[in-house]
Amino acid sequence: MKIIYTDALIVGGGLAGLRSAIAARDKGLDTIVISMVPVKRSHSAAAQGGMQASLGNSVKGEGDNEDVHFADTVKGSDWGCDQDVARMFVTTAPKAIRELAAWGVPWNRIGKGPREVIINGEKETIVEKDEAHGLINARDFGGTKKWRTCYTSDATGHTMLYAVANEALKRDIEIHDRKEAISIIHENGICSGVVARDLITGELIAYVARGTMIATGGYGRIYKQSTNAIICKGIGIAIALETGIVSLGNMEAVQFHPTPIVPSGILLTEGCRGDGGVLRDKDGYRFMPDYEPEKKELASRDVVSRRMIEHIRKGKGVKSPYGDHLWLDISILGREHIEKNLHDIQDISKTFNGIDPADEGEKGWMPVLPMQHYSMGGIRVKPTGESTGMKGLFCAGEAACWDLHGFNRLGGNSVSEAVVAGMIVGEYFANYCVETHLQTNTFTIQRFLESQKAYLQEILSYDGGRNIFDIKDRMRTIMQEKVGVFRNGKDLTDAVNELEDLLKMVKEITVTDKALCNNPELNEVYRVTKMLKLALCVAKGALERTESRGAHFREDFTKRDDENWLKRTIATWTNPNDTMPTLSYEEIDINKMEMPPAFRGYGKKGAIILNPLSEKREEEIAKIKESLGEVDRFTVQEAIMPFDLQKEYKRKNERVGVGYD
Amino acid sequence: MSQKESTVELLTGKDCEGKKSRIPAKLDWLQSVTGLFLALFITFHILFESSILFGKEAMYKLTKMFEGEPFIEGGEPLIITALAFVIFSMFIFHAFLAMRKFPDSYTEYQRYRTHRKLLKHSDTNLWFIQITTGFAMFFLGSIHLYMMMAEPEKIGPYASSDRIFSDWMWPMYLLLLISVVLHSWVGVYRLIIKWGWFDGKDPRKNRKRSKMIIKTLIALYLLLGLASLTAYMKIGYEHQDDYGSRYISENHK
Amino acid sequence: MINKSTQKLDNIEGYREIDITVFRYSSQVKDSKPEFQTYRLVETPGMTLYIALIKIWSTMDHHLSFDFVCRAGICGSCSMVVNGKPRLACKTRTNEFEDGKITLLPLPTFKHIKDLSVDTGNWMNAMSKQMESWIHTKEVTDISAIEKPIEPDVAQAVFDLDRCIECGICLASCSTKIMREDFVGAVGINRTARFAIDPHDERTDEEFYELIGDDEGVFGCMSLMGCEDHCPKDLPLQSKIAYMRRKMVKV
Repeated sequence: MKIIYTDALIVGGGLAGLRSAIAARDKGLDTIVISMVPVKRSHSAAAQGGMQASLGNSVKGEGDNEDVHFADTVKGSDWGCDQDVARMFVTTAPKAIRELAAWGVPWNRIGKGPREVIINGEKETIVEKDEAHGLINARDFGGTKKWRTCYTSDATGHTMLYAVANEALKRDIEIHDRKEAISIIHENGICSGVVARDLITGELIAYVARGTMIATGGYGRIYKQSTNAIICKGIGIAIALETGIVSLGNMEAVQFHPTPIVPSGILLTEGCRGDGGVLRDKDGYRFMPDYEPEKKELASRDVVSRRMIEHIRKGKGVKSPYGDHLWLDISILGREHIEKNLHDIQDISKTFNGIDPADEGEKGWMPVLPMQHYSMGGIRVKPTGESTGMKGLFCAGEAACWDLHGFNRLGGNSVSEAVVAGMIVGEYFANYCVETHLQTNTFTIQRFLESQKAYLQEILSYDGGRNIFDIKDRMRTIMQEKVGVFRNGKDLTDAVNELEDLLKMVKEITVTDKALCNNPELNEVYRVTKMLKLALCVAKGALERTESRGAHFREDFTKRDDENWLKRTIATWTNPNDTMPTLSYEEIDINKMEMPPAFRGYGKKGAIILNPLSEKREEEIAKIKESLGEVDRFTVQEAIMPFDLQKEYKRKNERVGVGYD
Repeated sequence: MSQKESTVELLTGKDCEGKKSRIPAKLDWLQSVTGLFLALFITFHILFESSILFGKEAMYKLTKMFEGEPFIEGGEPLIITALAFVIFSMFIFHAFLAMRKFPDSYTEYQRYRTHRKLLKHSDTNLWFIQITTGFAMFFLGSIHLYMMMAEPEKIGPYASSDRIFSDWMWPMYLLLLISVVLHSWVGVYRLIIKWGWFDGKDPRKNRKRSKMIIKTLIALYLLLGLASLTAYMKIGYEHQDDYGSRYISENHK
Repeated sequence: MINKSTQKLDNIEGYREIDITVFRYSSQVKDSKPEFQTYRLVETPGMTLYIALIKIWSTMDHHLSFDFVCRAGICGSCSMVVNGKPRLACKTRTNEFEDGKITLLPLPTFKHIKDLSVDTGNWMNAMSKQMESWIHTKEVTDISAIEKPIEPDVAQAVFDLDRCIECGICLASCSTKIMREDFVGAVGINRTARFAIDPHDERTDEEFYELIGDDEGVFGCMSLMGCEDHCPKDLPLQSKIAYMRRKMVKV
């Protein structure tokens, strides 16, 4: 029995995991990060367009601050987010980006004076202030009032991840890669580590720690078409679900990005549209202004994705052997801009499609279609990042339902969340590890190890003749066709039933190779089983939610229903032998909101069933404001919705021209 | 370096201050400097050698010039000895420095060779030329240089031709010529890349340009060298019956 | 362009067959003997080695091991030797090989795991530590205050070198590295260049000399440019190695 003891254990070596590891290490804790792949290969590296933080350096970001970022995020989430968390996030984001700058992330910087940009398809000249020269630049992104997305060309996630990973190496944080956590060790509602599998030797190892953090990212790969890396299978979330006591939140909230390239599904960043790129149909017509006169291509992702499918359904899609698609045109930005700021996009388009997007006119248009991109749902945690169901189990980043994004995440808020959560949750997690001592014993640890060993043996003993790859394919097809951008009761019912059948069917497979080590087929079996459980949470959650909110759109219930559905879906897997998750709901309290539900400002008008409490809360807020008289925005905010945050992170952020106001 | 210092380096890999030795930098730099010097020398050597193409008299005059005429009456062949000695030292020093880069075991050689064959990469292949020609020159170059030091007076239109033709030195000179031309110019190309001499605004484009120029120079120098060698062969062939007799300048006739 | 393609997906007969030969070996299994195995499959339009290998794995040989993560050419996981050349498999299209014959080998110079899978992660982490790949400064940053201004061109220049994805291709294309295990390679030298030009980093040339001033570092490089010519990110390795070499001899 191999046991590795440490103070702080982090599962997942992406931005959130590594930043948390740094938080733990800086408190003197012995810290281990385990990861399925070398940490610098994590999916965080794939984030292209940028990171949102309200620095307000650029002239197009003037007037930006935490309040504006907060409002954009809440609207983007379609009021599904936790507003306390959103406040914690927007207050810390500028600090996160400045910390990263000091760690060497080569953020694109502002050059003073005039510069040509493309806005709404037209060339415009903006003039940057002298005092902003050399400060961090920002580009426009969907669903934001200001240009707020800071970037390093279109490799933002890469530069961020490398900076954070190197800082982790500097601190001698132990990194164990090619290790996959397959079960959580817990007793009496307290987590004490994980059982991990060495993906080279097949050996099972118990990692035992005072505190454990899951930062394993999303579950996009349950869909056939996804921009996600092939490791984004949601295994970390699934092992939490399998404990029976950890709950998952809003699993049906799945984001579809408007512009992955067809057919490979590789993402073309929102920065393409942020920098001025436009969408065109088969006639070369720019259709988005017809649907969204105000935000056009830069409405939130859920809205743009739906509008695109809507337009294709009208017969305006471009026919191809891979189905209909639309065009993304960035050629209007000019070759120089593309080669400097959208370098990787050009590379992807040239390599995978043979199209140079800098070529003028039709020749440079890239085929795009909405595909799965982000998982808003995940392990339900408190604002401190600790699981609501298990002590000592923390979660940060895409794997968590912290809940910053509600039912739709804004572009640029994901890597931002990963780092910010790494700071905030990482700090809470580190404190927990400092204050807590191990309460487990080797008997318990051995029990968990033995049970996983038995499970793997069981898989090898299955002898029904079926093939796990067929089951996986079917699952991904069902999710794609029946739990996609547009959803309806009938399809969802079919999906739930068929997924349940597939889950049962796993026991009828045969694994051709019986080796316990280095057996990629065996890995696939337990992974697909876990993915099926997550898929069921998504499909069931979507079926039960009879409204449309953010990325979750029901053709049979097209309105956002604040009266009945302003709540989070909570999924648990109460019994290991269950074939269906147990759903319950967590109310979102309007009375505590800083920004009560209203129209988002984009998307279909009149598609909301408002809760009368909204209006009541608005009045309440108005009263509070009135009673305060002439005070600064921080005092107003504190009076309406006080929130907890580490002192260091709650400090006011300085901005050029306005100081600390 | 004192014994104490080198003992510290033996034990720690660092000097007494705890710093890395500066010697590797010097060696790398000296390898380049000696290489460049030798390449420049060869460039002119082959040019001077080719004076035979302009006739025996031209070659004779040039030879005498190197022997110190008109400052010394009749010329002093020891000057050639001295010159050859300087080149020989430089040559040995360069070889000594360059040996650091040679594969130094069968395993290393085997790995390099297999990798090179898989990779089919032109610059990597060029290096194979360099180590092969470099290795060949350990011997060929030494023979030639030693002869020049030992018998400096035996340079001249007939003396050189007799040596090449009648003394059967031409196979060695042919191999040496090919080796030295390839080795020098490939070496110069390598120096350009190594130190980024002509990087300019577009290092990639300029590398291609450098490579093209180098290839042209290799071709030119091989042609020139072969033409000269042929000329010596012809003279040697015609002169075989008078083997040993020296050329007498037009002026002295 | 896809819509103009005359090929149809369901028309299998219209496509050629390709042969993919893969190096098979498991360092974990004691009696494993290295061998080459050939798979014949139908080449679909736009097929990359990622698509081909996934197809082989899921339909022909479930035991085949290889590493892919992003499958978009940005994570650096899938480096392998394709017909002799180290490349990113996900960015390699099968139709560029006219005879339809492709031989795949694991990346040399790294610890072999199984078949096409090698351990790049631990080597790269060790390299990052050896090169002290982080900002060295005595300045304490107040993260609430306005960030230190950086000239836009300088930030861009740092970014250009920061694009390295640690894929290991520069090492697998390098004769020095093939012969000498301890050579730090273009990836390591480029890393020092990246920090040397970053205004946040206060390290002097003397300090960089301590990292790369020997035959395992920049003086080991023989300028064969395998790195420059195979780098999938087109990093300016040729000029940056020369840049560091010039700096280091002046120390």
